[in-house]
Amino acid sequence: MTEIRNPGMSSATLGQSSDSGHCAVDIDPVEYTLRKRLPRKLPKRRNDVYVNMKTDFRAQLARCQKLLDGGGHREICVHGLGLAINRAINIALQLQASSQGALQLAANTSTVELVDDLEPEDPDEAAEPMTRTRNNSAIHIKVFYPDP
Amino acid sequence: MTEPTSQRMCPSTSLNSAIQSFSPMPYQNNLRKVKQTEDSCPFPIPGLAADFFHMRVKEGSKIRNLLRFATARMQGEGNEIHGRPQRQVVFTGSDRGVTKTITCVEILKRKVEGLHQVSKLYYKTVNEVWKGSLHSAPGITIQRTVPVICILLSKDPLNPQEPGYQPPRSTSAPTDSTWICKTSLRPPQCPTLAKRLYLEK
Repeated sequence: MTEIRNPGMSSATLGQSSDSGHCAVDIDPVEYTLRKRLPRKLPKRRNDVYVNMKTDFRAQLARCQKLLDGGGHREICVHGLGLAINRAINIALQLQASSQGALQLAANTSTVELVDDLEPEDPDEAAEPMTRTRNNSAIHIKVFYPDP
Repeated sequence: MTEPTSQRMCPSTSLNSAIQSFSPMPYQNNLRKVKQTEDSCPFPIPGLAADFFHMRVKEGSKIRNLLRFATARMQGEGNEIHGRPQRQVVFTGSDRGVTKTITCVEILKRKVEGLHQVSKLYYKTVNEVWKGSLHSAPGITIQRTVPVICILLSKDPLNPQEPGYQPPRSTSAPTDSTWICKTSLRPPQCPTLAKRLYLEK
């Protein structure tokens, strides 16, 4: 059963928050190692920019700016998943501010399914590996020059 | 944590405000935020009907509480306190509440079918007053520009040409997200990605 989680919440707290309202009386003594699967390989056009939290903010902003100025694209699409939503919004608003109002923004939101693999820590415990699905929010911001 | 929204005491350029981390100075001096005011402007969404209700999502809001209220208003409460069910709702969130706003909207769209959506992004300036212990020197006022998201969900059709418009998701079509995970792209044995947890039944 998929449960909606707070985007950006670390997976370390996965075990504590249960999907039922009441607290669990018995805790499974089996200890699991959580492994997050990466999202699926992204379909990427030339004017798609996927924002993450690891690369420097200025570098991602400069990349978007270069696509708009030099790349000759009339529009680019900035994507952000989870915690990178804030950064994607900032990038898009900065692009709009530096264009002196020539650019317009169109934001779309979506839900993305992410899968975690749970592997039992102790191989003697005879617990099978499980997968857990969770949802995360994503934003897709189209930055474009409006048609005259 | 680098949050690209804050700025120091004087209003700096918007690029600096987007890059700088949260101002460390108030925290170092054990100041705490006393008051926050903002210049309120009307929602930049065209086509707002007369009756809509506004959900303000903050960073500490509980999603369950927000959604319980929102679904009750949209689907019509049984005890008829607020009258007939509402047709439009506006969710706003700023700064660190933006992601939670989007999550609330997505969950509400799942619970209530056939909602049209228009999303808008803009900057707004807030004035924060930070003070130490109450009898100390008068607090400092920080002006900050923060990003705001404003999302209108409506049962009535909206203008599809409006930038930021999303039609209601049809139940048969798959989600339009580009990140649907079907393959198992398992990362190599990397200890940084693996976290331990106790599985609760």
